[in-house]
Amino acid sequence: MIPSRYGASSTLSSIRRRKQRSSKQSTFYRPARWLLYLCLILGSAVTLLPFVWMLLASLKSASEILRIPPTLWPENPTLASYRTIFSDSGLGLWRFYFNSIFVAGCSTILVLFSSSLGGYLFAKHHFPGKDLLYGTFLISIMLPFQIIMIPRYLLLVNFQLVDSLWGLILPAAVSAVGIVLMRQYVDVIPNEILDAARIDGATEWTIYWRIVLPQLRSELATIGILFFMLGWNNYLWPLIVITTPERRTLPVLFTWYSNGHSNRLDLTMAVGVLVIIPMLLVYMVGQRWIIRGIAWTGSR
Amino acid sequence: MSSLERTITPPRRWWKVFGKRGGRSYFVLTALLPLLSYMLLWEVLPIIWTLCLSFFDYSPSRSGGVILGFGGTNPYIGLEHFRRMMGNSLQAQLFRTSLINTLMFAFIAVPLNLLITIPLAVAIESVHERFKGFFRFIYFLPTVTTSVAVAAMWKYLYHPQQGLFNIILKGVGLQPVIWLGDPRATLGGVPVALWAVILASVWHDMGYNLIILIAALQAIPETFKEAARIDGASEWRVFWHITLPLLRPAIVSASTLTMMYFFHAFDIIQIMTDGGPSNQTQVLVLDIYQNAFRSGRMGWAGAEAFILFLIVLLVTLLQLRLARKEWHYDT
Repeated sequence: MIPSRYGASSTLSSIRRRKQRSSKQSTFYRPARWLLYLCLILGSAVTLLPFVWMLLASLKSASEILRIPPTLWPENPTLASYRTIFSDSGLGLWRFYFNSIFVAGCSTILVLFSSSLGGYLFAKHHFPGKDLLYGTFLISIMLPFQIIMIPRYLLLVNFQLVDSLWGLILPAAVSAVGIVLMRQYVDVIPNEILDAARIDGATEWTIYWRIVLPQLRSELATIGILFFMLGWNNYLWPLIVITTPERRTLPVLFTWYSNGHSNRLDLTMAVGVLVIIPMLLVYMVGQRWIIRGIAWTGSR
Repeated sequence: MSSLERTITPPRRWWKVFGKRGGRSYFVLTALLPLLSYMLLWEVLPIIWTLCLSFFDYSPSRSGGVILGFGGTNPYIGLEHFRRMMGNSLQAQLFRTSLINTLMFAFIAVPLNLLITIPLAVAIESVHERFKGFFRFIYFLPTVTTSVAVAAMWKYLYHPQQGLFNIILKGVGLQPVIWLGDPRATLGGVPVALWAVILASVWHDMGYNLIILIAALQAIPETFKEAARIDGASEWRVFWHITLPLLRPAIVSASTLTMMYFFHAFDIIQIMTDGGPSNQTQVLVLDIYQNAFRSGRMGWAGAEAFILFLIVLLVTLLQLRLARKEWHYDT
């Protein structure tokens, strides 16, 4: 896991180099180039197909979606399914949007804080057992979550945090990947700057807050948006922890909705569209950061 | 630079450990405390705990002994769980089925993933600069999509009556297939339902490998390809003899990461099939989840988790061995 991350991050500088080079024509022969574009466009169509199929289904009416033989294109596109969902008082979709944003947002803020702090600590300070602790962080990266989920659940039971949103946030407050990454970026901050601040009487916490954090701005944005995405998409942990309906996050709500509450495909697909849309907006705005974050961390 | 660092020595007396307020050891202590306690509480303790669980007949519904509920009504049974895994009980059979399914899933999905992503990454990288961003946007889209939504939309694609796949099959005059619910349907010896979840998982996951491979492609110096082209090599040979060998380290790490991921892929399988039909898509993590949180057999689930840990360890060691070979090139 580790080599790939280093490999990927070291190559990122070369992306910039390539960008500066003028947009050189590919040396493919003309027909081959057309074929290449054709394949890529066909591939894009196949990639987009499930999205389109979902969107079309959400626009069909309740009777049309059950028709046999099924229709490909909605005959009378209608927003009825969306209207039904938002007027369903037993559902209260906004509540679950809030839960998801709250959980993903809080854990992201905590991860950003702990990662940058850990990065500064490991990069610029020495203490006994440092390598051992760092090694433990490295090992914990490769462990699948399912190996530790049972004891983590039992811990929550002991802390009486089961079925609360904090039970989702706290175990995700520190990210080993984040610390390892941030250590690399703090490493390149020159010691002279830090020493200058120390001579001027700054405490270490001031240095962290005033010098280190501002230097890490773009890196923090990168992993921040990535961790927000991971938190938003997280399914298994909320599925285990949350039992009260009002405290569910969107992914858990969605499965409950599609499995039990409603057997209507049009409503299920409409909720699916509504779950996807916020992440889609984030992706449109922060595509560059998300991709860079994945290249750096390899987190899934 | 180092003169200042050399003056910091580990404190000798434990009460001096906090040092002066604002000093470096004060900072180390205050910053280390939360990180260390998190690490011990949420990472190290759970791993040991899982290992301990596998030696006990543990159920959360029984109160058990004083320390973490071990002992008492949750008795120590030694290696009994692992012995029982070889046995003939329904649980053991389900465990073995899920282990085989997990391996099948990973060993089909990883090559499939690479067969799609390697050519795709090369293709995206060789189009005009203007369109690269567009294609990247499209091909990464599934990856940022919430996994539950991915599962739902694919479940709908596979729907026996309303699903697009069966509409197409009927359209070209073929027999419709019950993709997710027919235990007798197989393709190449592998259940159709397993193929179906593999396809959905690969579609969802390919963006990660694309990113890794594209980053690796961009790191290959253009001069190598240039030189080959001047020597008269065709584009195909440039790809086969220069690009692909230089991509090898990236391919090794991408495939390990993907394999690790597919060993513990949960969301899509749980939602699309929940292990069915007749346990043909029951994978190890699904079995762990069901045993621990639906049947309350946490001891057994802990033993299963330990087996998963061994598998992951094996793959990691293999990758380290593969990655140790020298792949350096100078520009």
